[in-house]
Amino acid sequence: MTLAIIAVTAVTAGALGIGAWGVRVARTTSDLFVASRAVSPWWNATAISGEYLSAASFLGIAGLEMKYGASALWLPIGFAGGYLALLLFVAAPLRRYGSYTIADFVEARLADSRLRLLAACVVLLIGGFYLVPQLKGAGLTLGEVTGAPYWVGVVVVAAIVALNVALGGMRGITYVQAFQYWVKVFAIALPAFLLVAHLGGLPGRAALLGRELPRAGAHGLVVQLDRPRTVTFPEATRFRIERAQGTARAGEAVQLPRGDLVLPAGAAVPVAAGIRAQRGEDWARPVADGGRASPLFVYSLLLATFLGTMGLPHILVRFYTNPDGPAARRTTVRVLGLLGIFYLFPGVYGALGRVLVPELYVTGQTDLVVLRVPEAAWPGLGGELLAAVVAAGAFAAFMSTASGLLVSLAGTTSFDLWGHLRRHQGERPAPGRLAPFRIAAVLSMTLPAALALMTRELDISVLVSWAFALAASTFCPMLLLGIWWTRLTARATAIGMIAGAVTATGAIVAALVAGNEANDTVLAQPAVFSVPIAFATMIVVSLIGRPVAGVDIHMRALHAPEGLGIETPLRTHA
Amino acid sequence: MAAPLTAREEVRQDTAHGGLYLRRLRRAQLGVSLLALVVFAGLLGALPLVILLVERLRDIEVFGVPAAVGLVVVPPYVLLVALGWLYERRANGLDSAFRELLDDDEP
Repeated sequence: MTLAIIAVTAVTAGALGIGAWGVRVARTTSDLFVASRAVSPWWNATAISGEYLSAASFLGIAGLEMKYGASALWLPIGFAGGYLALLLFVAAPLRRYGSYTIADFVEARLADSRLRLLAACVVLLIGGFYLVPQLKGAGLTLGEVTGAPYWVGVVVVAAIVALNVALGGMRGITYVQAFQYWVKVFAIALPAFLLVAHLGGLPGRAALLGRELPRAGAHGLVVQLDRPRTVTFPEATRFRIERAQGTARAGEAVQLPRGDLVLPAGAAVPVAAGIRAQRGEDWARPVADGGRASPLFVYSLLLATFLGTMGLPHILVRFYTNPDGPAARRTTVRVLGLLGIFYLFPGVYGALGRVLVPELYVTGQTDLVVLRVPEAAWPGLGGELLAAVVAAGAFAAFMSTASGLLVSLAGTTSFDLWGHLRRHQGERPAPGRLAPFRIAAVLSMTLPAALALMTRELDISVLVSWAFALAASTFCPMLLLGIWWTRLTARATAIGMIAGAVTATGAIVAALVAGNEANDTVLAQPAVFSVPIAFATMIVVSLIGRPVAGVDIHMRALHAPEGLGIETPLRTHA
Repeated sequence: MAAPLTAREEVRQDTAHGGLYLRRLRRAQLGVSLLALVVFAGLLGALPLVILLVERLRDIEVFGVPAAVGLVVVPPYVLLVALGWLYERRANGLDSAFRELLDDDEP
């Protein structure tokens, strides 16, 4: 435990240190292009990957895999695949166009300042959604490492990130994010290799792949319940809760009070509400006939992540550090490779956890599996060291993503919303003024932190996939049509984005209200219908209206290769 | 009457001809992107159905992992990088070809 605290502190201090050192070069919103000429595609790609690999990647995938089964392994494919969509349709044209943020692009391309405002609101919505699971990861991790209550971790990390961003640290500093990438890859890969080697392969194969349920070990299983919980026993079981004896019939849901639940050796582990007890062969099925593993659910999830990545507020900004279009392409291809390396490993933890830490099924907190597995697999110093390593990696994951997100959110709030208001009152905006940005950074962190405190029981990856679905249903159609289609109009963009946002949010809220039953349906993963609705709306409304004047100039700025001596008004400020 | 413009000037000055050249380039680039997308969607999109329908994939084990799981964990990432790399070469190739086309026309 002490080791883990030291490791977490070291990684955080390292990142803050590199950040502080870089602050002198990085002061205003133009920081990113100050460094841009000097940053090679490799550095850039590492930094993009470092910022992208979030709590969802580091903790969430394995947690979801342990909870629902191998169908969770489609999630990282979509996370990585999003960069292919970015590469094919967005990276080079957007870099050539010279837009710094999504709001910049939409205003410049469609010549409408109200669209900028709308885009800013959607940025806040998506970014807020995405920030919540990062803070949730922080609360869980800090709780594991120090034993502090959940809210302490959320508040502490929210405060550190907000303060750091407000003071100018970590702002688009390539080297911090690149450092974080290597921390994360090392922290997920090394323990995975060592633990599997130490165990001599995957343990408990019957529960992983065969006909067995996860079971208590030879010495029984003790689960600490921090609050009363209803659990379902898959088999008839005698158990003890504190001093009282109890029995449960097969399939019976039992309300347990707070305290220590003791299961006898070999007893099938009961599962929390929302989890289905699965035998190994069902658990190990990436696709099945129904539920979260049904082809429709899988396709919807892949669609959301594939198209949603380009619409995440902290992603496109990073592409600006590429000097030109070909460099943007080169960077993206490298990102695909770097992410692919990382995503080979989270699955190992979900599988080990199913056998080694089945108590997480009882509490439902499978997001903890990555943090718990090392010490369960390797009792003693070895496991403790590796636990310290994964804790540090998890910390790097949500610190980097939360910082990147907060920079985008604060920039949007201070420049797009606040600045817009001021301009309306006839004041001249003063770019680079830091006071509004600082206030915005603190404000932008408050609401997500409050939400994180309220959503303790929701899975990290589930929260993240909502952000993706929302981004895929709003910014993705706007970007794709705006870059490649001459007829897109401002009005159509606004209506389409609203339609997409309303459909996606509506479905997600409906799924939430309906509770656990809806969790396995496409309501919880609405991209498969909300994305087509957004696209269709934008296209149809555009065809009715008149195209934007001077669209050829925009197309030239987007698509003309470098080196023709063309300096468009839009490209010169780059 | 002024001397005829070079292709480069046509594009730079955004004449009707210049617009035509650029539209061709944009279409070609979109074609390459869509081709890559179709290949990706075809291969990855088929994977869930293949795993669902081919029962045997669950019984075959590769390095101790069922082939059905192995197919999800490794090959998609290889496909992503390979497609990305091929696309990058092709897209940059189209850009250079466009540049050469304009340069050839230089007096």
